[in-house]
Amino acid sequence: MKNTKWASLALAASVSVSAYSCKSDSPDLPTNKGNYVLAVTPIASTGVADYLVTVDNLESGSTTILGNGVEQDGTYRYYVTHNNKFFSMLYGQGNPGAVTTYSVQEGKLKKLSDFQSETVQAFAPVNEDILMLKIPRSNTNPLANYYKVNTNSLLISGEGTLDVQKVAGNGESAFFTWIKQVGSKVYAPYMSIQACCNAAFETAYPDSAWVAVYSYPDMKLEKVIKDNRMSFVGRYFTDGLGVDEKGDVYAFSSSIGTKNKVITSTKPSAILKIASGSTEFDKNYYFNVEAVSAGKNITDWIYVGQGKFVVLMTTKEEKGAYESGKHIGIVDVYNKTFKDVTGMPDLDLIKDITTNNYSAKDGSAYIGVAMKDATSFVYRINASTATATQGLRVEGGSITAVTRVD
Amino acid sequence: MLLCVLGGHAQQPSNFYKGLVRSNGQPVPDASVKIDKKTIRADENGAFTFSGVSGSSVDVSVSALGFQHLRQALTLGKAGEVYTFSMQGRETAIDEVSVLGFTPVKEVNRQAYNVTAIDATKLYNTTMNIANALDRVAGVRVRESGGVGSNFNLSLNGFSGNHVRYFIDGIPMDNMGSSFQINNIPINLAERVEVYKGVVPIWLGSDALGGAINIVTSMKPRNFVDASYSYGSFNTHRTVVNLGTTSKSGFTFLLNAYQNFSDNDYKVTLSVADINTGAYSENIKLRRFHDQYHNEAVVAQVGVVNKPYADRLLVGFTAGKNYKEIQADARMKVAYGGIHRRGTTLMPTLKYQKMNLIDGLDVTVNANYNFGTEKNIDTLDRRFGWFGESKPNPGGERSKQLYVYKNNEGIATLAANYKVTEKQSIALSSTATTFKREGENELNPQANNYEVTKRTFKNMMGLGYSYDVKDVWSATLFGKYIFQSNKDGDRPTMNMNRFGYGLATTYFLDPEFQLKASYELTNRMATAYELFGDVENQDANPDLKPERSHNINLGAYYGWKINEDHRFRIGGNLIYRYAFDFIFTRLNNNQSKLIADNREGVSTRGADMEFNYSYKNFLTLGGSLTYQYLQNKQEIEPGYTGVSPLFNAQMPNIPYLFGNTDLGLVFRDFGKKGNVLNVNYNLLYVHRFWLYWPTMGGTSADDKKREVPGQLAHDLRIGYSLNNGRYNIGAEIRNIADAQLYDNFGLQKPGRSFAVNLRYYFQQVK
Repeated sequence: MKNTKWASLALAASVSVSAYSCKSDSPDLPTNKGNYVLAVTPIASTGVADYLVTVDNLESGSTTILGNGVEQDGTYRYYVTHNNKFFSMLYGQGNPGAVTTYSVQEGKLKKLSDFQSETVQAFAPVNEDILMLKIPRSNTNPLANYYKVNTNSLLISGEGTLDVQKVAGNGESAFFTWIKQVGSKVYAPYMSIQACCNAAFETAYPDSAWVAVYSYPDMKLEKVIKDNRMSFVGRYFTDGLGVDEKGDVYAFSSSIGTKNKVITSTKPSAILKIASGSTEFDKNYYFNVEAVSAGKNITDWIYVGQGKFVVLMTTKEEKGAYESGKHIGIVDVYNKTFKDVTGMPDLDLIKDITTNNYSAKDGSAYIGVAMKDATSFVYRINASTATATQGLRVEGGSITAVTRVD
Repeated sequence: MLLCVLGGHAQQPSNFYKGLVRSNGQPVPDASVKIDKKTIRADENGAFTFSGVSGSSVDVSVSALGFQHLRQALTLGKAGEVYTFSMQGRETAIDEVSVLGFTPVKEVNRQAYNVTAIDATKLYNTTMNIANALDRVAGVRVRESGGVGSNFNLSLNGFSGNHVRYFIDGIPMDNMGSSFQINNIPINLAERVEVYKGVVPIWLGSDALGGAINIVTSMKPRNFVDASYSYGSFNTHRTVVNLGTTSKSGFTFLLNAYQNFSDNDYKVTLSVADINTGAYSENIKLRRFHDQYHNEAVVAQVGVVNKPYADRLLVGFTAGKNYKEIQADARMKVAYGGIHRRGTTLMPTLKYQKMNLIDGLDVTVNANYNFGTEKNIDTLDRRFGWFGESKPNPGGERSKQLYVYKNNEGIATLAANYKVTEKQSIALSSTATTFKREGENELNPQANNYEVTKRTFKNMMGLGYSYDVKDVWSATLFGKYIFQSNKDGDRPTMNMNRFGYGLATTYFLDPEFQLKASYELTNRMATAYELFGDVENQDANPDLKPERSHNINLGAYYGWKINEDHRFRIGGNLIYRYAFDFIFTRLNNNQSKLIADNREGVSTRGADMEFNYSYKNFLTLGGSLTYQYLQNKQEIEPGYTGVSPLFNAQMPNIPYLFGNTDLGLVFRDFGKKGNVLNVNYNLLYVHRFWLYWPTMGGTSADDKKREVPGQLAHDLRIGYSLNNGRYNIGAEIRNIADAQLYDNFGLQKPGRSFAVNLRYYFQQVK
C-alpha cells in the first residue's frame, strides 16, 4: 500500500516537473535604431499582428521581428507618414478602429497617442491633415464619409459625406481608388462600380478615366474630369496619381474594368497628364505603356523625381483585377520611355513586393521584397541605371511597408 | 503487470467457492470483498464467487456502504462450499454516501476512458450553469465572452472550440439552437455531467477529438417537483421548473421549463473614444448599455417506461426563444447600440431505449430536428460611443441588414451494445446529422437573388470491442468511419471520408489505485458553423479541412485514508497530441470577428493534476492545476518555400497554465435537526498569456506587446437547506475581489456580483 502511494506521488511529481520544463529562450535582440520605419508581418498566416521596426540604414545590415519590434493590433493595417509622424491604421471592415500615432525619437518609435477612426479605403496627407474616405460598395447606401484628422492635435477635426452616385452620374457608384492633394485641391480618381448584385466592383463602364476634384477644406465637388483614352485611374486601394516637381499630375491606368468576372477594358495600360493649374486631362499627352514594355501593365508606382517613376507591373498573361505585379520597371513620363530593372531576385523566388515604399525623390526608391524562403529584403532601385541592389535583410516576416519619419 | 496477475493463478489447482454478504439475514448489495490480495465485488444480492486452494487459509476483508468493516481468517473447505459473512450496520451510514459509496458519478470515473464526472446534484442550490460547473474540472477552462447568454469557448486539455462536443443523454447538442447551450442550461437540469478527455466512447458517436461533455438527466421513476428562482447583480433573473411523474402503469411525463434574463450591464474598463473627435480617454470605467439577454425554453416529453418493448420511449418537443443584444465586436473595441439577434428553437424529439432487447443487447435510438428561425438585426444608421451617445453613420452600425435565416439541423442516432459474455461486449453506433441554412436580407431584396443554400451532411459510424474484468482492468478497441458532404451554393460539393481507431485501457492496482492509458487516431470534421459562419461574430471558412490527430493519454489516480476521518485522492494525466490540419479559432484579418482556420501541424504536451481531501463529512478541499504547451508544427507557410520562423513556436492566445481550488464546509443540523448549511469557496487562477505569437516582437514595456493579464477570481457560495432538502436558500458572491477578468481574446467579464437563489424540491418515490 505504501509503495503504491509513493509511486503515485512520484508520478504526479513527474507530471508537474515535465510541465514546467518547456521553456523558450529569448533570442539576442538587435539594437537597430534609426528613422526608417519598416512594417513587417509574420510569415505564419493571417489574423495575427504586424510589427514595426526602426533602422538607420536600408542599404545593408539586418533586423528581425523575433523578440524585437513594436506589436501592432492586427495585420490588415495601413501606414502613412505626415508631419513627422507615423500613423498605423486598422482596416476593420464596417467597424471603427484605433489609429496609433508614433514619432521617432533617438531612433526609436515613441507612441504619441491613439485615436479612433472609421475603416477607410483611401487616405492621404492634405495640408496639415490626413484626409480619409470611407466609401460604400452597396447601392443601398449612396454616401461616402470623409474624415479630416489634424496631425497636430491628432484628433478628427471635421467630417462629412460625399454622394458617390451623384459623382458617377451614370447609374453606378464612384469608388475612389485614392486621393491626392494637388495644389490647394483634392483629386480623387475613381472607378465606376455597379455596387450590387454580388459583384459590387464590376462595371458597365470599363473604358473611361475619371478624377473628381474637390475643394479643401470644405470638400465641395468642383468638377469631374473624364477621358476615354484609357480606363480608370489607379486600382482598389492604389494611388494612381503622381505629381512632379512642376506640379504636373500624371495618372496611370491598369485597364482592369471587369464584368461577369472577366476584364472588359479594351484600352491599353497607359499614362495621362493633367497640367499644373488646369483641371482637364492634357489632350496632347498620351503614353501607351504596353506599347513600350512588351505588353506589360502598371499595377502600382512611386515617383522618384525628374519625371521618373518606379513601376510594378504584371505581364499580359498575369494581368488581373487584383494581381499585384512583381516585374519592376522605370517609366520616364517626360520622354515616354520604359526600362526593365535588372538585379532583382528571380521572380519565382519572390513572394510579394510592397506597394507602400519610400523615395527621397532623388532618383531612387527603396522597396520591400518578401522572399518565398521566408526572408525579406529592402532593395534600392536606381531609376537612371534601372538597377536593383539588395540592401537590408529582415528576419521573421515579410516587409509590408518601407517609410521614413524625421 | 497483467501477465504477473494471470501467472499467479496458474500455480496450483484451485477450486471455486461462493460467498454471501448478509446483515441481520438480509443481503448486503455491492460489497467490496478482498480475499488475500484479490478484490471481488459482490452483486446486488450480496453474492460473489472466488477461487482458492482447498485446505489453505485466506484473509477475508469485507466492506460495504453503511456497514462496519469486517475482517476474518477463513480456512477453505471443499470445492463449491458457501460462506456467509455477517456485517454490522453503522449509524453514520447516510453521511458516508458521498465519500465512500460508488455513486453513479464515481462509477463513471472508473471507466477505461479518461473521464471525470461532476455530481450536479451537489450544485443544485447554486445559480450555476453547466459551463460554470465545468470550469472546476482539471484540464477544463471555459472562456465566456461576457455575462449571461454570451458565447463561450471551452478548452479541454488544449483542445477547444469544436474539438469538444456536447451531448444531453448521449444526444449531440449541435443542432439545439442558441437557446440551448451549456452556458445557459441550469445545473438543475442535470443529474451529472461527464467530461471525457481525449478518447470519446463509441456510444457517443462523435468525431470530437479533444473530448466530449455529456449531460446526464435524471431517469429515475418518481414524482418530483424542482423549482428554483434566483436574482442577482445586473438585473439577472433565472427560473427553473422541473416536473416529472411516472404512473404505475409506466406512463411518464417530464416537463422542464427555464428562463434566463439579464441586462448584463456590468462595468468594464476601457479606452473610450469620442465618436466625434476620435480622442481616446484611457481607463474609463463604464457600464455596458446594450447587452440584454434573455431566453425561455420549455422541454416537454411524454411516453412510457418499463414496458416489455421499451425501457423508455419518449416523444417530446422543445420550444425556446432567445433575444440577445450585441454590445461590441469580437474585441470590445467598438460599441454597438442597436445590433441584436433573435432566435427560436422548435424541435420535436424522439428517444427510445431498451436494455436486453434480446439477451445482452441494449439499443438506444434518438432523433430530433430543429425548425427554428434566427434573425440578425443591424438597422440603425448610427455610430455609437461607449456612453451610449451616437451620430449618423450611413450603412448600419456594422453592415446594414435584417437577415432572417433558418439553421435547420437534424440528427438521428442509433447505438447498440451487445454483451457477448460477462467480460466482453461490442458497441456499434451510427450518427447522421444534417444542416441547412437559407436566409435573406429583407433590406436588400436585390442581393437575395445571390443568397445560396448551405448544407452539410455527416454520418459517423463506430464499432468498438470491450473487455472488462471488473475492478481489475478493462480495455476498449474501436474504429470510427466518418463521411461528410458539404455544399456551399454553386461551389462543387465536397465529399470526404475518414477512418480512425484507438485503444483505451484502465488497470486497477488495487481498488483505490487506478491507471489509465489510451491512444487514438482521431478525425474531426469541420462543423457547419466553422464552414459557414454564425452570421454574428464568426466568419465563414468553407475551405476548412478535417483535422486528424494522434492522441496519447496516460493517467493515474490514487486514493488513501488516514484512519477513517482523513481521506485523500490525487490524480494526474499526461497528454501528448499531434494534430494535422489542426482546427483553431483566430481573429479575422480585420480583428473584428473570429474565424476557424487550419494549422498544418500542432503538437500539445500537457499535464494536469488534481487533489482532493476530506475530513469526516465536514470539510472538503480540492484543487486542480493544468499546464499545456501547444506548439506550431507548420514548417512551411503557404506561398513560401523556406522554414517558417514560427515553426516550433508556442501557439498564441491559448491559456497554458491555470488551476482552481475549492474549499467546502458542511454544517449539519444547523439551527435545527435536518437542516444543513454549506459554505463553499472557490479560487480560479489563469496565468497571463500573449494575445499574438509569443516569439514575435519586443516584450519590453515600451513595445506594448498585447497580453491577457493573469487572473485570480474568488467565489463564495453559501447554501442552507431546510426540511431535509425540500427548501433551499443559496447566496453567492462571484469575483469577491472585483478583479479584472478577461476571456475570449481579452474580453472583459463581470466584476463582483451577487446572487440569491431559492429552491423547492419535492420527490416521491413510488
